Amino acid sequence: MWRPVADTGALLRFRAGMVRDGSRALALAGSAGLVLITVLAGWLPAYLPDGESRRTDVLSLLPSAMVGVFVVAAISAAASGGGRELLPREEAVAFPLSAVTDHLGALVMAPLNIAWLLQSWTLLGATAYVAGPTPRLLLSQVVVVTWLVTATALAQVVGWAFELLRRSRHGVWGSRIVLVAVGAAAVQLVATDRLVPLLQRSPTLHVTIASLRVRTEVTAGFFATVASLLAVTALAVAVGVALADVVSRRPARDELRLETAAQEPRRDPGSDLVAVMRTDRVGIWRSLPLRRGLLVLTVMPGGVAIAGDLPWQLLTILPGLVASGGALLFGVNSWCLDGRGALWRDSLPVGPELAFVARALVLVEVLLVATAGTVAMAAMRAGVPTAAELAAVSCGALVVVGQVVSASLRWSVRRPFAVDLRSARATPAPPLVMVAYSARLAVSTTLVGLGFSVLALVPWEWSVVVALPMLLLSAWRLSRTAAAWGDPVTRGRVVATVAS
Amino acid sequence: MSQPVVDVRSLQVRFGRVDAVRGISFAVEAGAATALLGRNGAGKSTTMRVLAGVIAPTAGQVLVAGRDVATETLAVKRLTGYCPDVGGLVPRATPWEHLQLAARLRRLTDWEDTARDLLERFDLGAAAHRVTAGFSHGMGRRMSVVLAAFHAPAVLLLDEPFDGVDPLGVEATMEVIADARARGAAVLVSTHLRELAIDACQDAIVLRGGSAVAELSAAEMAGEAGAGVYRGLLD
Repeated sequence: MWRPVADTGALLRFRAGMVRDGSRALALAGSAGLVLITVLAGWLPAYLPDGESRRTDVLSLLPSAMVGVFVVAAISAAASGGGRELLPREEAVAFPLSAVTDHLGALVMAPLNIAWLLQSWTLLGATAYVAGPTPRLLLSQVVVVTWLVTATALAQVVGWAFELLRRSRHGVWGSRIVLVAVGAAAVQLVATDRLVPLLQRSPTLHVTIASLRVRTEVTAGFFATVASLLAVTALAVAVGVALADVVSRRPARDELRLETAAQEPRRDPGSDLVAVMRTDRVGIWRSLPLRRGLLVLTVMPGGVAIAGDLPWQLLTILPGLVASGGALLFGVNSWCLDGRGALWRDSLPVGPELAFVARALVLVEVLLVATAGTVAMAAMRAGVPTAAELAAVSCGALVVVGQVVSASLRWSVRRPFAVDLRSARATPAPPLVMVAYSARLAVSTTLVGLGFSVLALVPWEWSVVVALPMLLLSAWRLSRTAAAWGDPVTRGRVVATVAS
Repeated sequence: MSQPVVDVRSLQVRFGRVDAVRGISFAVEAGAATALLGRNGAGKSTTMRVLAGVIAPTAGQVLVAGRDVATETLAVKRLTGYCPDVGGLVPRATPWEHLQLAARLRRLTDWEDTARDLLERFDLGAAAHRVTAGFSHGMGRRMSVVLAAFHAPAVLLLDEPFDGVDPLGVEATMEVIADARARGAAVLVSTHLRELAIDACQDAIVLRGGSAVAELSAAEMAGEAGAGVYRGLLD
């Protein structure tokens, strides 16, 4: 067997072996759940009834949905410095792992991302719906699944290429210029109404046709499409390997620059709370991956809202997306911001409640800043809101931030993990746990967003009336978590874990 | 006889099904330095964490200057200065920001000159405003000792302070220990480096499997004979 493939398999087994006894059944159930949802998403919608040419409408969106999978995977790979790693950098140095293994690992990890999963499930479901209950549905889905593999491999190439640019001599500025250029091109396409025609001419149109034509007959076109996609995948993997190899030889300039730069000393803090919050804040704003992630989270939904010309009534969905994404950058394992300094910090003479309040406030602050940025972007095209719309978006944002913060800190205390967020490729919890957290946050915040979207249609007072008990519920949950954090045995376990 | 500053009585610490510390008792007087010696997993760091108020004891009593660590944790934290065995530094904060936070929470005034002096003694002056994520292991250890000694605590707890530290750093740490003893502080040094332990301390407690197996004077641990005694206690 090709050695990097064997190494990737060994790393996967190693990671699986790291799952603690109590969590193994949960991890197995989670994996089985993901497979089950994928199968059901690609099968059940075929039996949904058609109505007023709804199938034709969905059909027209399939090529764009396929492009969407690629775009989401590419942004994820580029934002995370080349994609997720199978083994954290610090632990990987002990093993003779090649860049090929690193690349294969990143490919394997790419689907363990809620954005990728949701897009893929949507695409499979939409294809099943359009194809209908035909005996050859499986063959249609073979084409779609092959596209998912191809799109992921291509996206990984984009991720490595962007990281290579970032690590080049003037890469920091180069990557910023590329981002601004891509953003400007997108704005231009939207402003001139050329985005939809462009998407309709994308190569994914041929993939869509091949996946649907196979319902009636298995032609040479079906095999040619699958073979072409596999050939592109093979090429993308080869290019990805070459890029990963070059990237691995170059220093991460932006990380090094931050770690060697002198930070201007600030005036002494005026209170204990300010002092503790200041230390918490530097853990976020001086971390390149977190800064980058927060920027992507702010700009992306805002950009989508502008491109899609979303009205204020639908902007209620955005705060949930941003807040959940922000929490998934670090909030779900909040104490890991202290890293190995957690033991020292806990030895300082300050009550646990103050440390907890500071962490919660900083999390709220970060999520509100990102959410406000997104809504401000979206508002540029949505125009002036009515009082009801403004109240619905504002109250909805406060409610989801409260929900996300209370859930994040609860998970942070219940299941701490030792992670080094120094690397852009690191996540605050293991991949399967991240998927579970993402799913739970996505479901609860989307439901709240939809609820407030309805409230945007009624007098503004209703939004306030509905938001108040929900905020109180979050506050009550936070107080319970604070009590758990106050228990010295629990706190000792959290601190010792994140510092290990 | 004066009351010991550190008084550990039948300390037990259990993590799940693992007994990390099984009934250790010892005392450290004011102005004395005691070494905790033993192999990895002997219970040294867990004992230090309990004394620093970071981990709660499962059973037994731990008194620091008469304060019970289980019930008066904050008071104990005010009295102790702790250098943890791992890291000990917040990755994105600078040494100066660590000192600023400690000064605020420990109610220190006019602390800047002391801070600068300590940073210079440990050769960290030039790195005072750089984030600690970029520090070498040795720099991190030295900075952890600075943070432990910064507020001149009544009890100085140094867990593996010599690990990966260069000779000048070891010398500076020895000076910090000597200074602490001279002003009447009790010092506990956890290490598995016997020679450095007997240089720094006058007593040593050897731990094995979570229990104290011997209490010896530094003289008894010195030289080749001492090395043999120590080796014999580890198995």
